[in-house]
Amino acid sequence: MSAFDRPRFLRVYVAFAYLFLFAPILVVVLFSFNSIKSLQNFEGFSLRWYEEFLDDPTLRESLFASLEIAVLTMVAGTVLGTMLAIGLVRSRARWSGSANVLMLIPLVVPEIVAGISALLIFSQIGIQLSILTVILAHITFSISYVAIVVRARLATMGTEAEEAAMDLGATRWQAVRMVLLPGLWPAIVAAGLLVFALSFDDFVLSFFTTGEDVQPLPVRIWSAIRFGISPTINAIGTLMMVVSITAIGLALLIPRLFGRRESGVKVLTGQEGG
Amino acid sequence: MADAIRLEGVTKRFGEHAAVDDVSLDIGQGEFFSLLGPSGCGKTTTLRMIAGFEQPSEGRILLEGEPVDDVPPYGRNVNTVFQSYALFEHLNVEDNVAFGLKRKKVAKDEIGRRVGEALELVNLERRASARTSELSGGQQQRVALARALVNRPAVLLLDEPLGALDLKLRRQMQVELKEIQREVGITFVYVTHDQEEALAMSDRIAVMHEGRVVQCGDPEEVYEHPDAPFVAGFIGTSNLMEGVAQGDGKVKIASGQVVPAPLPEGCDAGTAVQIAVRPEKIALDELEEGMVSLEGTIEQRVYQGVVTQVTVSLGDGARLVALEQNTYRARSDDRWDPGTKVKLGWHPEHCLVLR
Amino acid sequence: MSEGFWNRFLVPPAVWLLVLFAFPICLVLALSFGYVDDLGRAVYATDLDNYADAFDPTYLPVMVRSVLYAVATAVLCLLIGYPIAYFIARFGGRYRYALIAALVLPFFVNYLVRTYAWVALLSDEGLVNNALIDVGITNDPIQIINTPWAVIGGLTYGYLVFMILPIYASLERMDPAVIEAGKDLYGNRLQTFLHVTLPQTRQGILAGSVLVFLPAVGDFVAAQLLGGPDTYMVGNLIQDQFFAGNNWPFGAALTVVMMLFLSIFMFGYLRSAARESRAAL
Repeated sequence: MSAFDRPRFLRVYVAFAYLFLFAPILVVVLFSFNSIKSLQNFEGFSLRWYEEFLDDPTLRESLFASLEIAVLTMVAGTVLGTMLAIGLVRSRARWSGSANVLMLIPLVVPEIVAGISALLIFSQIGIQLSILTVILAHITFSISYVAIVVRARLATMGTEAEEAAMDLGATRWQAVRMVLLPGLWPAIVAAGLLVFALSFDDFVLSFFTTGEDVQPLPVRIWSAIRFGISPTINAIGTLMMVVSITAIGLALLIPRLFGRRESGVKVLTGQEGG
Repeated sequence: MADAIRLEGVTKRFGEHAAVDDVSLDIGQGEFFSLLGPSGCGKTTTLRMIAGFEQPSEGRILLEGEPVDDVPPYGRNVNTVFQSYALFEHLNVEDNVAFGLKRKKVAKDEIGRRVGEALELVNLERRASARTSELSGGQQQRVALARALVNRPAVLLLDEPLGALDLKLRRQMQVELKEIQREVGITFVYVTHDQEEALAMSDRIAVMHEGRVVQCGDPEEVYEHPDAPFVAGFIGTSNLMEGVAQGDGKVKIASGQVVPAPLPEGCDAGTAVQIAVRPEKIALDELEEGMVSLEGTIEQRVYQGVVTQVTVSLGDGARLVALEQNTYRARSDDRWDPGTKVKLGWHPEHCLVLR
Repeated sequence: MSEGFWNRFLVPPAVWLLVLFAFPICLVLALSFGYVDDLGRAVYATDLDNYADAFDPTYLPVMVRSVLYAVATAVLCLLIGYPIAYFIARFGGRYRYALIAALVLPFFVNYLVRTYAWVALLSDEGLVNNALIDVGITNDPIQIINTPWAVIGGLTYGYLVFMILPIYASLERMDPAVIEAGKDLYGNRLQTFLHVTLPQTRQGILAGSVLVFLPAVGDFVAAQLLGGPDTYMVGNLIQDQFFAGNNWPFGAALTVVMMLFLSIFMFGYLRSAARESRAAL
């Protein structure tokens, strides 16, 4: 009998695999509450590393910077990404086919390439690196993510409701505002939260485009790790995890709250709209 | 008074293909006018051009005497009830119905009043605050109707609005729609592929085929005097038979018999024609005075409740379908078994000659 | 619905992407032909020196190493990840969404922090070594960190989920009736798996491999944190040129070379995917 005849074996394997996946995370979280400065011996429960993190002005600054960047990226990214999705689906121009492909390119470009090209254009134009440049770079790469999520949803919506609106006296633009956008809203929100989480967690792109003064949190973590490991990093990591999970959790739940019966997962992947 | 709608030589091409081909129609005020035809005949495209969602490639459209070439849908005094209802899912019933009035910036209390009236008209006043997803198909359809009517348009366009409903509901809605139209007095332009529906509801019907209007007239005219084989075949069943005109009012049909038939002008001996006799006009066995009489053999009986469909073979592959109504004079079963020889006949004026 | 109306929606995002994405990439290409002057400033030119340097013995091994590590990562991800995907698809039942969620959850922890966790675990004073010493397998800490396998391990851990999800998706899409038919035909599960399931999931495997391989080639985090100078990857090299080394044109050239290599790979993948979908028709 081969191994595949017994799912039992597979079950054991998968259990170990999940353990392997979670173990480092659990270690990180656990030792963030360590009462002593050690990542090997757990001595007792304490919040001192969180206090150190929040007491440190540079780290606090970085936390707020990361949040600010994520929020602005979310707003601008969803606006531009939604416009892109609408334009691509509705425009019957001959070049919209290739535009579709171009929209996907930012997603397959390795982050290091994205980072370098962003760095080059900023230095070429003469903008000094700062939070602003990080935001600009993040927005650039969030546009594609938003466009894909919104487009998937848009493709399932017909134009009839908008025609009905126009029939009833709405101009084309009013029809978009009052019928199309409300219909897309769950997808837009879900995409926005996705982009928030991606931006908040981003390292490589931020690394290349950040200034000296205020740096996003992941960049600070990088510097800190280079100096040596410390439970403060664990604390930061745990906090960041909570923020990201909350954002994605909201992205999955919010479509439900809108009174639609489908799950957020389906909205993000563009299946049957409500 | 100007016609409510006038189409002059309207053609619509998509690429090479003409979906609507040189259509001219006059639709009067307060008429219930149907566009009837199979899928792809151009009836929906014609409707969309009246509404303003498509522009004619050729010809022009006039609403109440005024050409509307460049007028967008939101500028026309026309409202549409869509096949899929196209309700606004993020709004509840009364907000859906109020939508058009709000665009026209009608005063708030008047909106409330008119919305209430419209909902009463379609019997949905108790569901005013429901969400559209909570409604049944029939209810959604009525919201769509109310939403269109509340604006008091000059013309209401309906694109196969009853297609998604089951038979019983559809029949009920047909009656209701007709009543509403009479009550409100608005011109209705109704698109359907269901000829029974068109016959039941319309003041006039335009039968369309491959982009053209083949015949336009009131239901009786279109049914009893079809101009073309297509109309005869599309509306009701027809019993079309090939034949050759014999001159002096006679036609020799394919199976050899010669029958008297009213020949139209210019139909000389030797012309190939088709004759059509409606099944319900055929008498089986008990013929009346003056009827054409033929002999045949019963091929098949199909019991359909209200009527029994009897297929009779005349020999040589020619066959006729007759309808035997299941009335108080109904006969017992064994009379019409397959194989039985039977006489059938019809009055000469019920035989149509078509080319 | 007039054309111009919808086209207007495309303008702002298109302009943004042109200015901040397309044009900058062209800049990278342009700069790769440049050089650094005496004052340390990057100058645009038309030399191919950077490309020559990129392929010379000092640097070529780094690029080759990157590809090898990335391939190893993809293979490991496949070997580790396929059974997981298979289990969830076949035996997950109503828990499958929970299992997928649990799978994805660790990936909401920042990539840096996740890799850092492995640093903590694998270092000489780390938990793994401590455990090995306590259990008695060894007396001195083993050098785990700072080795190629530490880097590959870190990469695998970082990108595993990108392999699992596409494979899971293609397994989900499979018709269970096909597996049943296969079992009838082949008799036992292993044969069925090799001859029926595996080929059907080829698209998923390819997609997953691409999603792992592409970013892994350019990754510098794992190599920096878990490795040393001997495990330098092209990402580290590039990063160096832009920060410590201050040779932006060379860095640009390395980037272009890497991009070209990845493009060839992507092109091959897309052609194979297109052939697959044509064959499926």
